[in-house]
Amino acid sequence: MNQAKMKVAKAKTQKVLNILITYCILVVVAFVFFFPCMWLVLASFSKSGSIYSFDGFFPAEYGFDAFRTLFTDTVMYDYPKWFLNTLFIASMSCIIGTVLTILTAYCMSRFRFKSRKAMMKTTLVLGMFPSFMGTIAVYLMMTQFNLINQHWGLILIYSAQAPMGYMVQKGFFDTIPYSIDEAARIDGASNFTVFVKFILPLSKPILVYTALTAFTWPWSDFILPKMLLIDKNLYTVAVGLMSLGETEFARFAAGSIFIAIPIIVLYFCLVKYMINGMAAGAVKE
Amino acid sequence: MKKTLPAIIAHAAVILALILLMGFLGVIAAGVAAEGSEKFTGELERNVTLRILENDTAKEQGYLKELLEAFNKEYAGYGIVAVDANMDQYTDLEMGGPYGYGPDVLYQANDALMKYVDGTRKHILPVPVEKLDCYAHVDDNAWDAYKVTIDTQEFVCGVPVNIQQPLLYYRKDLLPENWETEWDDDRNGVPDMIENWCDLYRYSQLIRQQSAGSKYGYMKSLNDGYFASGYFFSYGGYVFGGEDGKDTTDVGFSKNDGYLGGKIIRQLASVMNLECTEDTITKNSYSRMAQGAYFATMTTPDVYTMFLKEMVLAGYTEEYAKENLVMTSVPKLPVSGDLEDESQGFREMTVMGGVNGYAISSYTKAPNAALAFVNFATSYNMINRRAELLGISPARGDLAETLGGLNATINENLADGTIYVMPSVRALAQVWTPLQTYCAVLADDALTGKNAYVTDDALKKGIANVDSQIYAAIHTLGGA
Repeated sequence: MNQAKMKVAKAKTQKVLNILITYCILVVVAFVFFFPCMWLVLASFSKSGSIYSFDGFFPAEYGFDAFRTLFTDTVMYDYPKWFLNTLFIASMSCIIGTVLTILTAYCMSRFRFKSRKAMMKTTLVLGMFPSFMGTIAVYLMMTQFNLINQHWGLILIYSAQAPMGYMVQKGFFDTIPYSIDEAARIDGASNFTVFVKFILPLSKPILVYTALTAFTWPWSDFILPKMLLIDKNLYTVAVGLMSLGETEFARFAAGSIFIAIPIIVLYFCLVKYMINGMAAGAVKE
Repeated sequence: MKKTLPAIIAHAAVILALILLMGFLGVIAAGVAAEGSEKFTGELERNVTLRILENDTAKEQGYLKELLEAFNKEYAGYGIVAVDANMDQYTDLEMGGPYGYGPDVLYQANDALMKYVDGTRKHILPVPVEKLDCYAHVDDNAWDAYKVTIDTQEFVCGVPVNIQQPLLYYRKDLLPENWETEWDDDRNGVPDMIENWCDLYRYSQLIRQQSAGSKYGYMKSLNDGYFASGYFFSYGGYVFGGEDGKDTTDVGFSKNDGYLGGKIIRQLASVMNLECTEDTITKNSYSRMAQGAYFATMTTPDVYTMFLKEMVLAGYTEEYAKENLVMTSVPKLPVSGDLEDESQGFREMTVMGGVNGYAISSYTKAPNAALAFVNFATSYNMINRRAELLGISPARGDLAETLGGLNATINENLADGTIYVMPSVRALAQVWTPLQTYCAVLADDALTGKNAYVTDDALKKGIANVDSQIYAAIHTLGGA
């Protein structure tokens, strides 16, 4: 009896110990990830603006000057304009990219045609190369299309590249029973009707997931806009922030935080759909 | 006979090929000249827009706006409008220019501008400078920075605006109270620590001792090749040899007693901290000087307003800041090459400098209007206004003389060779990394007590190694 009690007590102690260790590790990991964010937030409220006037690791004095100048001092650094530029590019890329990705995934999932497998393999292999590999080629092509220094040049690239990552969406469409398509077709529905009226309403999670990923890439991309945008008035936030002067660190931090807000809000609102989309897309029927 | 005929034909073919080659080279040179002269017909293009690339300070201080407004008013009758190109101040003309995205007129340093003509493609136009108002008033040394020789023909591809030279910035209110009695040996009313590096070094040691290491005297990122190179030049070193200083086969930081520059850098590092081995001090000197943590630093005159701004942010009034933030010529170096030995007297420090100016893009559709803009922007009145607003040191001798003070001194320094103008060759880009690495190693050596560069032999070997690295980067590795 005593032995049994001791075993139970030992098991309890072990459980408590396990929980304690797990939480300790979680706290440390959370701190490692959270601390830089917190530091950036505090830095954005630095009164002096320069990183070199900090009192040790944190700002010596706090204020809202960086946020104020971010939106009012626009002679050299027009943050509101950069923000709107980024919003325009990201939104348009999101809409066009989502449509193209969904259509690609649907075709690959539902239709059987010659060279389908070859195309799938090719896109899979091409997707393994980092996108910046083709930077010079893209630049030269854009010069020929007269799309340098134009937002539509960027939108075209982002939208055109988006369907390359159609695999998750295809996985999702694969989970939708083909019998739905067949039933609809027997009732006289065309391919387009089947897609719009039957498949899309069932695909809300993957649509949200696709739209979000198509939005976040152009929202935070640096390499392409840095290469293609020359006029400062056309800059995106990422490029604009990098052009800030050496003594403008607080403004840089404030700008970084402000640009993160819309994406954080979007994530919180749509996280449920995202998880559903990712989970469903990962399952192969 | 049978063997002779092919030999004659072969010889004739070689000679013909040589003639064609020489002719081709001649055509290239003549082409560059013709391109310039043909484009500058003197007839202004009408109803055109010129994109002007200026530096950020000119934009920030409102000078660019004034310049554009004044020019547009003057040339309104021709329909010529100059606008801000609104690009990054370091925009590379080579990248966007050929595709029509570059500016028409650009303002950059001489090495940045001249790299556009140091290759197979000429991205900026040779300018008929003798037609410009400023031509006679700018010193030959400043024009030399923009000269390029193609097949024995000489062209000028830029118009000097201002001379860049490292200057010493210091806080007058941080001088010791007794400086007039204890720190002015020659009783000339100028503190000794401003006049020579030996006393600045000594004063820096004193500040560190008295503040228990929390404050510093002279502080500078010693790895910065632009500023550090002056120590090597002052003892006979140079970047490239040849009459025009562009012979890249002769790299000469180690020539003569150049190695002594390394000794000075080691000694200066000993009164600083490890931040002097990288860029931190260059970036934090504005705020640290404003806080009183640094007594002095060395930088170019165009950032004066940044120091002022930081002092105001630190709680000083603008009047107080202007009175106590002093910009002056760099101190003299000891002839001995040792900051603790002033027995042999002092010599002027030779510093690396540059000549910033305007160039006209080869891709402009309105070269005559662009030339008119350059002429307008380099006129006496506009340069005077630029000097007032931006604190630059004008390349126009007539204006520098009128303004006096440091402006006149800097012009004199350029004329007498105290300013070593950055060689206007593309190979200059290969100089910085080996030099910066060596300077950082020297500073680190002094601060961490490794003492690998204590002897003259080690210093000679070190700087000779830098020369060979630069040579290899340019020639062996094809970096130029």
